[in-house]
Amino acid sequence: MGIGKADSILIIDDDPIVRKLLGNIFSAKYRIVEAADGPEGLYKLLDHTDEICAVLLDVIIPGMSGIEVLRKIHAKGLLELFPVFLITSEFTDEVLQEAYTLGVMDVIAKPFLPYMVEKRVSSVIELFSARSKLASTVTNQETKIKLQEEKIADLSLGMIESLATVIEFRSVESGEHVRRIYNITKYLLEKTDVGAGFTKEQIDLIALASMMHDVGKISIPDAILNKPGRLTPEEYEIMKTHSAKGAEFLSAIPSFRALDSFQYAYDIARHHHERWDGKGYPDGLKGDAIPIYTQVVAIADVYDALLSRRVYKDPINAAQVLEMLSSGECGAFNPLLMDSFFSVERELRKFYKPAN
Amino acid sequence: MNDATKQNLESAGINTEGLVARCVGNEALSLKLLKLFLQDENYPLLVESLKNGDRDAALRASHTLKGMTGNISAERLFALFSEQVARMRAGDWESAASMMAEISPAYETLVGAISGNLA
Repeated sequence: MGIGKADSILIIDDDPIVRKLLGNIFSAKYRIVEAADGPEGLYKLLDHTDEICAVLLDVIIPGMSGIEVLRKIHAKGLLELFPVFLITSEFTDEVLQEAYTLGVMDVIAKPFLPYMVEKRVSSVIELFSARSKLASTVTNQETKIKLQEEKIADLSLGMIESLATVIEFRSVESGEHVRRIYNITKYLLEKTDVGAGFTKEQIDLIALASMMHDVGKISIPDAILNKPGRLTPEEYEIMKTHSAKGAEFLSAIPSFRALDSFQYAYDIARHHHERWDGKGYPDGLKGDAIPIYTQVVAIADVYDALLSRRVYKDPINAAQVLEMLSSGECGAFNPLLMDSFFSVERELRKFYKPAN
Repeated sequence: MNDATKQNLESAGINTEGLVARCVGNEALSLKLLKLFLQDENYPLLVESLKNGDRDAALRASHTLKGMTGNISAERLFALFSEQVARMRAGDWESAASMMAEISPAYETLVGAISGNLA
């Protein structure tokens, strides 16, 4: 089978005179393929499927009737690829009805007039060709639109990342924190059980949302945000307000509220310091009251804080971090989440520079 | 096709103009078709089946001959076979069979003219 224009007409008729007459009508513009009976016709049809632009089929042929051939072509769904014309002197209502039901394009009477056959067949061939050109134009356009949508999505990601990074920059930490939370959250949802039940689109939105978990820090004074030592109880209370403030901030921006990821972002910002045992803040949510995606961001946040350098601490090595997480020393987490987390921790470590 | 050939074919019952027209002006093709006609086996088949009383075979053969003679513009034979097929379909077998009296000589003349004039 060749790739290229469909420009062959298949003529199935047991009368060689008819085949030559029909072939002659079209041989100037088309290639002619001949078959003398049903089985040969089908064989050649399947062999040349991509090249055929029309089939001329006689009804009374030995071996297999033209209607049987038509049934087989129909069963293979090939009638969408090219038109089939019945050329026959048999005009019973039954034959006609079944032929049209099966999807024959036209029935041409024998004896035929060459100019009529030429006209009727070429018009339809042209229609099929125009239709398939249109279909491929539509496909091309759909592809273009998809690419543009992806560009827009990338743009949104870029903007959100910028905003979050700018806010994070106040606390002297590098903007890599935001990107790491994004990567860890995405990894856990995509590659472990915690992400079961979320579609790929939802996971993408959640990962995006996770970048905004600390936007509330913009309301925290520098002296507290960047204090190199331990916070006093009063300072700690102020620091704790960044979650609620973050959620407030996000809902105050109309264009943020309009984002698909807003619902996730709001919850993550407000509740990423909640604890499995209910002793977190600001709402004291317990257990499964905390959405699983927020729990994922929470553990990512703690993990990141432990492994990285912060203004108030040095980086801690991975082995110790795992020890601290599993002992409950650094937050209380969902046991199932912990399992999934530990099962892929080695991979998550790769998001950090070799020092760890 | 030279004039003599044309004449002879016409006398044998072929409308040469109609034939060439059906070949969209391709004269070479029209001659080829006439030669193809000589290879037909439906005539002996028709004769045989009428003798044996095989009605289905006879009808198929006559119907095919009707188509073929029509395609080479052998107009008289076309009319004769058309009539024969009609009678067979109506169940008038005897009158259909009796038409061979007219059909046979016309057919033989035709075949003779074609083979005689086309090398």
